Amino acid sequence: MNDKKVVEIKNLIKRYGARDFQTTALKGIDLTIYKGDFIAIMGPSGSGKTTLLNILSTIDKPTQGMVMLDGQDVTRISNKALAKLRKDKIGFIFQDYNLLDTMTLQDNIALPLALDGAAPKDILARIKELAAAFGLEAQLRQYPYQLSGGQKQRGAVCRALITNPEIIFADEPTGALDSKAGKDLLQCLCKVNESGQATILMVTHDPHCASYAKDVYLLSDGTIKCRINRGNDRKEFYNRIIDLQTSIGGDFA
Amino acid sequence: MNILRLAFLNFKNSFKNYLSLMLSLAFTILVFFNFLNLIYSDVFVELGQRNKNYIDMLLKVCLAVLLCFLFFFLWYATNVFLTRRKREIGIYVFMGMSNQKIGSLYLVEISFVGMTALVMGIGFGALFSGLFQMIMGAVSDLAVDVRFGISIKAIKMTSVSFMCMYLFFALKDFWNITRSSVLNMISAAKQNEYLHVKPIVLLLKAVLGAGVLILGYYYANKGGRYDTLTNAFWAVLLVIIGVYLLFGGLIPLVFQLLVSCKGFLYRGQRCLWVNQTIFRMRKNYRTYAMVCIMGICSVTALATGFAMRSRYENMVAFDTQYTFQFLSNQSDIGTTTETLIDGNDVTYQSALCALSPDSERLLATYMDVSQMHLLLSYSDIVRAAQAADVTFSFEEPADDEVYYLSHLVLLSFIGNGEAEPVEIAGKTYRQTERIMIPYLGYLQKELGCLYVVSDKEYERLQAQSGVYYICNYKLADDTVFWEVRAAFDAIVSNTDENYTARVSIDPFSNEGEWIKALHSLCIFMFLVFIVASGCIMFMKLYNDSFEETQRYAVLRKLGFSTRTLSASIAHELVTAYLLPFAVMTVSAYFSVLALGKMMRADLFGIYVVSTVVVSAVFAAFCGLSIVAYQRTLLSARDRR
Repeated sequence: MNDKKVVEIKNLIKRYGARDFQTTALKGIDLTIYKGDFIAIMGPSGSGKTTLLNILSTIDKPTQGMVMLDGQDVTRISNKALAKLRKDKIGFIFQDYNLLDTMTLQDNIALPLALDGAAPKDILARIKELAAAFGLEAQLRQYPYQLSGGQKQRGAVCRALITNPEIIFADEPTGALDSKAGKDLLQCLCKVNESGQATILMVTHDPHCASYAKDVYLLSDGTIKCRINRGNDRKEFYNRIIDLQTSIGGDFA
Repeated sequence: MNILRLAFLNFKNSFKNYLSLMLSLAFTILVFFNFLNLIYSDVFVELGQRNKNYIDMLLKVCLAVLLCFLFFFLWYATNVFLTRRKREIGIYVFMGMSNQKIGSLYLVEISFVGMTALVMGIGFGALFSGLFQMIMGAVSDLAVDVRFGISIKAIKMTSVSFMCMYLFFALKDFWNITRSSVLNMISAAKQNEYLHVKPIVLLLKAVLGAGVLILGYYYANKGGRYDTLTNAFWAVLLVIIGVYLLFGGLIPLVFQLLVSCKGFLYRGQRCLWVNQTIFRMRKNYRTYAMVCIMGICSVTALATGFAMRSRYENMVAFDTQYTFQFLSNQSDIGTTTETLIDGNDVTYQSALCALSPDSERLLATYMDVSQMHLLLSYSDIVRAAQAADVTFSFEEPADDEVYYLSHLVLLSFIGNGEAEPVEIAGKTYRQTERIMIPYLGYLQKELGCLYVVSDKEYERLQAQSGVYYICNYKLADDTVFWEVRAAFDAIVSNTDENYTARVSIDPFSNEGEWIKALHSLCIFMFLVFIVASGCIMFMKLYNDSFEETQRYAVLRKLGFSTRTLSASIAHELVTAYLLPFAVMTVSAYFSVLALGKMMRADLFGIYVVSTVVVSAVFAAFCGLSIVAYQRTLLSARDRR
């Protein structure tokens, strides 16, 4: 493990609603993510998973606490700086892919780098490299509507990786995929993580999906209940996650 | 909840979304109403019966054009409305509503939109009718009193015409909904995915479009004496077809090529806006083509207006170059007329001789001097020009050449063609110039064949020709015209021994006023076309912006800054306006060229001015569209 802190959260609190009718979604979360980590956040419905991801990905702001992303406190910087941070340091993978249907897969992948002002030659080289890693060479000239769900999601991963972000936030990345496509995608994510190309934070309700991560954090009622480490055996890790889920209870769907 | 209440709630909740459609419809109604109000006012009666007849004819032509425009605009607007509503009302299928009920809901809803637009259109129309008539009066400079009146007949006619057409399209849409499949209704939003066209089809369309358009330009520019109208008809038809094919083929093809050239595409925001443009082009090429054609119409209408105005002023200058002119076979006509004019100030005057090689034959046959060949010497015409202080920049013609002294016409459907050689006194001369400068004023209009020959040739012909004497006077004071004219009555004679003709035009005559009205009608048509094309583009893009919401939400989630996205939107929309403008600019050049042929004038300057005016209006609409688009997609509350 690398010692470089990519994300550091201290005493993160998020409340919704007016003063007298407040709901506390996150009740003082502390979490540190180091470079090279692959973390899965699990928890039943209403546990605060999405709130945590929204705050980490700078889409939402916390009520209290500190969120350091690559050394910058995202709660204290301007919207302009936040947009730059999102563009340069964060890669996103969404459940519903969010590829633009007006352009080919290749242009979708190229878009973040092109908008960033990179040289076309470098962009093409990077696309070639990523497409080879994710088995998408034959699909580059196709439009999203011509691709399968798995291909779209792998394309979305390529788009997230093309800028070499500090961290990738994945929100239920296999939620819309069948088990085969989901497995392929997770193997790809493991591969890029192990090769040191990406630090990943994934939110999921699926224990099978979570078992591909190095660490799983279980969130319940706005607090982190426990953290478990994969070790060397993924199947055994999967069983431990199931046991933990059973002991916590709640709706994990 | 009954259909009426549901439709009203839908209308109320979506009022803001439908505002662009309602304002566009209201604008069309406003224009139509004001036009009818003008027709039904007696504002043109004061111009005299002859002018009124001409103006009535012009107004009827404009009315026909406006009705066609209203028809197509409503067709377009209701289509846009249907596409948007189909997606939303398709959801009602899941509530157990039948297609007929959904159709009825749509019918009621579209009726609310139509009625609101009608009330707004007539309301604003009535409010601005005085202003409208004042603008028309000011633009045309007509000598009429502007009255602020609202014609009930105009309100009735506007309402009936609009409602008939609107109902027709509403029923057409109702029929469309009742026959639509459930899948078609609920997947209307996802139809974007199926718009990709094979490059070979694009290539064929592109080649065909370019060919047809070039053929159209060729017909617009084609010479020939008697087929100007036929050529104009083919030019119009071919340009319309060519423009549609161009937007459906060549332009998407060019963009497709740009997209495949990644070295070009992956620079800044190009990756985003070029892809968006190609997507829009495939989807909206008919709209772009329609806007382009309306743009061509607006440039042509404006150029016609300017040209008519300029031609009117030139024609007045032509007619009033001299107050009195005399053509006589009496050698003392100069002395006689000078005696009669005595006591009145003359600004300038001239006297010259004209030869009539075939005068005896013609006078015996027709008794009409206007059929004669009259020859003037080069030196005489130069002197006359100098006396009237008019520039004469023609070299002396060669001995086998003549210059034809012609006059200005408003429009001629007979082309200039190749000037035919003229046979005078047994010798054939080449016509090398057709002069339309009033060196001999109104006389050039009265006499059919007035030629300038070289001095040497004039001397040679003198021996074998009859001589006529021409005197021209320009009085300093026009108010004495009728008094002096009465004095000249005594010398007018039409016998073989004494042929003396007097040519004069009442300086206060308003006979050409209808040309001014034509000018203002052209300006009016220009305004209609340009604002309509701007409205269509604005409406289309504004509607498109709602379809883009999801796409831009993704882009914002990915961290692209508002500035980057704003720039991309600006590029995309400027391109959307620039493409029809570019095709319009080229096509309008040829349409103004054809107009110039009919007017026998060089209208390039007028074309440039008209294009600049149209580009300014397009730029204003483009700016508005960009602001509206950015507000929809990048509104402040979503900027985080």
